[in-house]
Amino acid sequence: MNVETFRYDNKIVRAFAIATVVWAVVGMSAGILAATQLFWPEANLALQYITFGRVRPLHTNAVIFAFVGNGMFTGIYYSLQRLCKARMFSDFLSWFNFWGWNAIIVAAAITLPLGFTTSKEYAELEWPIDIAIAVVWVAFTINLLGTILKRRERHMYVAIWFYIATAVTVAVLHIFNSLSMPAGFLKSYPVYAGVQDALVQWWYGHNAVAFFLTTPYLGLMYYFLPKAANRPVFSYRLSIIHFWALIFVYIWAGPHHLLYTALPDWAQSLGMVFSVMLVAPSWGGMLNGLLTLRGAWDKVRQDPMLKFMVVAVTAYGMATLEGPTLAIKSVNSLSHYTDWTIAHVHTGALGWNGFLTFSVLYWLFPRLYNTKLWSTKLANYHFWIGLLGMMFYVVPMYTSGVTQGLMWKQFTDDGFMQYPNFLETVLQILPMYQLRAVGGLLYLAGVVLMAVNLYQTARSGKLVEEEEAKAAPLSAQPVHEEKKYRPHRFLEAKPVLFTALTILAILIGGLVEIVPLYLIKSNVPTIASVKPYTPLELLGRDIYIREGCVGCHSQMVRPFRSETERYGDYSKVGEFIYDHPFLWGSKRTGPDLHRVGRKYPDAWHYNHMEDPRSTSPGSVMPPYPWLLTQTLDTNVLPARIKALRKVGVPYPDGYENGDAQKDLASQQRDVVVGLSLGEVNAKPDREIIALIAYLQRLGTDIKNQSQTIAAQ
Amino acid sequence: MIKNVLTHIGGIGLYGIVSICLFFAVFVGVLIWALTLKKGYLNSMRQLPLEDDSRLDAADTTPSRDE
Ligand code: HEC
Repeated sequence: MNVETFRYDNKIVRAFAIATVVWAVVGMSAGILAATQLFWPEANLALQYITFGRVRPLHTNAVIFAFVGNGMFTGIYYSLQRLCKARMFSDFLSWFNFWGWNAIIVAAAITLPLGFTTSKEYAELEWPIDIAIAVVWVAFTINLLGTILKRRERHMYVAIWFYIATAVTVAVLHIFNSLSMPAGFLKSYPVYAGVQDALVQWWYGHNAVAFFLTTPYLGLMYYFLPKAANRPVFSYRLSIIHFWALIFVYIWAGPHHLLYTALPDWAQSLGMVFSVMLVAPSWGGMLNGLLTLRGAWDKVRQDPMLKFMVVAVTAYGMATLEGPTLAIKSVNSLSHYTDWTIAHVHTGALGWNGFLTFSVLYWLFPRLYNTKLWSTKLANYHFWIGLLGMMFYVVPMYTSGVTQGLMWKQFTDDGFMQYPNFLETVLQILPMYQLRAVGGLLYLAGVVLMAVNLYQTARSGKLVEEEEAKAAPLSAQPVHEEKKYRPHRFLEAKPVLFTALTILAILIGGLVEIVPLYLIKSNVPTIASVKPYTPLELLGRDIYIREGCVGCHSQMVRPFRSETERYGDYSKVGEFIYDHPFLWGSKRTGPDLHRVGRKYPDAWHYNHMEDPRSTSPGSVMPPYPWLLTQTLDTNVLPARIKALRKVGVPYPDGYENGDAQKDLASQQRDVVVGLSLGEVNAKPDREIIALIAYLQRLGTDIKNQSQTIAAQ
Repeated sequence: MIKNVLTHIGGIGLYGIVSICLFFAVFVGVLIWALTLKKGYLNSMRQLPLEDDSRLDAADTTPSRDE
């Protein structure tokens, strides 16, 4: 038989591996900075660039896209070549993928602290960067599929299916969620508004978890776990079911992020049902992983790499049991907006993604450098300190989530709110926030130990840049076996067909969510009194977006008595039709703001923004003194009004050529007068004026409506 | 009021049922498919990740294969 000799590219694997470690340290440090500010706001050093609202997206982006992203590429570039018995399709595309991806991350690390953000969770980057992401992702996908097409192994192992699903689905998600109208360089408004924007965002957000944090890592699990244990996966049959069931169901479950919001009930129920069904494939996968180790537990005890793997797979099981639980409406009514969600995602991030990445890195480095791991003992320390860190993180977050959730809902015997002052429920959980920061610090310390260990390992060996291998090309392999194929065998031998089917599966799920979206569009009742934002309010809203207030404040009062008592009338779909983007938020570190308009005098907001503790003693909201001094940039107004008009906000034609500026100036004066009533002297052209105008508008349109009705 | 309007969009009940049926059809299909696969094929597939680099087994941090 004619056998070809070829070389695996290990240099690219090493590059991604190093980037993984570097970004792990950066991303987690940003996390600790954010966590610290939650009990000690001064930790932002009075710098606007690192206040909580801006550091939080920096942290999530760095951990998800930089750490896990590079980790995923590390594992894929290593395993794919070997599973395909082929070098990567194109060296150019490999390096384009590496430099492109990491340049995007650097761009994120610069723009997010500067306040350039779309405010949509895990999709915060502005449009030029979004375009770059699409280009790099396409390069990766071509490289992936190209390698698969020129493979020398006829069959596609299950790990490869997971990689394909990842590549195509992330592309689809990214494109649909990023559709927006530029309003200048680094500023845009999504084409969707309100409830539609929310639905698309969480269709994306949920599936980013599914197809960025889960499927690629399942692929890695199916490759590296058998490798490390030196035994084949427990059941290949189960892995087939795991794959198809998972990719088919995951996509449908997005609405569970919007339970009890203004999203229509049926969409919520559909999201809930499919979320609960997700347990089945997820647990199938977890058991498949753990059972692969049956009879090898002695090995697990000795090998830190396997220990990390076991905890990772177990954490996957815990997170995928908890996720569906949180999607049950009654549980969600308690858990949503609390730290319970934070605990949940960190079980996944620290346990599943983190530990699996560490495991792969410990396994890879000795092989890339043809040597032994520098210190198994140090790796063991890392394991235990990491586990401890996880415990210190997750347990306090559960405690604080449940505590605060219950406090919000607590009524006295006489039917009054037990804790009418929101701040009281915050002060109660501050000790938990402190413990959580300790947990994060321990976890990071473990990563530093790993960095040292891997560095020393690299030093003790020499990089095997090109690894030689031999295999016959597909054309020279006997095909008789193919004649008696079974459907799946046929399918995985045909990568193009396979990819098409995968796209079909995720598109069906996508359509199930998107079609209702258009039904909603034609069915959102317009409330006559709901009007577009005035120019000043619009710029104020953009400041709200820039500062990341949405990271701590929701704007969605759910229809519970505990919420309507506290905040006011519950939120209606029709109130958000001009909200590009929606700002419902997902976490209430501070109170809901949807009905804050006219709740306080202007001067209260002025003082509160300058120093929250002056009005709310003990508050952990960061002070925003720079809003009082920075001048409002009104030059951007025409571009923004035009962009919003293009996406459907009914500003009159030509409004931006003079009238808007006049309206803006007159409203500025109104706010200044309002402030002077509270003995605050402020200049009209400051940013704070716009922000106050926006805050005072929030949720008031509907109050106007009831006033007119009452007057009639 | 608004909520009522939305819950009564025409055909939405059917929509939910159709999507769940669709899901079950696909799921059952995959199940049958997987169950009819031949043992020999499944075993050869399981071995795929273990076949590749034998050269570097010396670097293995785990004790050697015990099967
Ligand atoms: C770190 C989290 C955090 C961030 C970021 C944050 N806040 Fe707050 N906010 C709080 C907390 C906690 C409270 C409750 C205590 C208080 O009144 O200060 C609060 C209260 C408020 C209130 C009073 C609400 C009421 O009904 O009493 C307003 C208004 C407000 N914040 C606006 C903002 C704006 C505007 C931004 C962005 C520029 C912002 N917040 C950013 C945590 C935060």
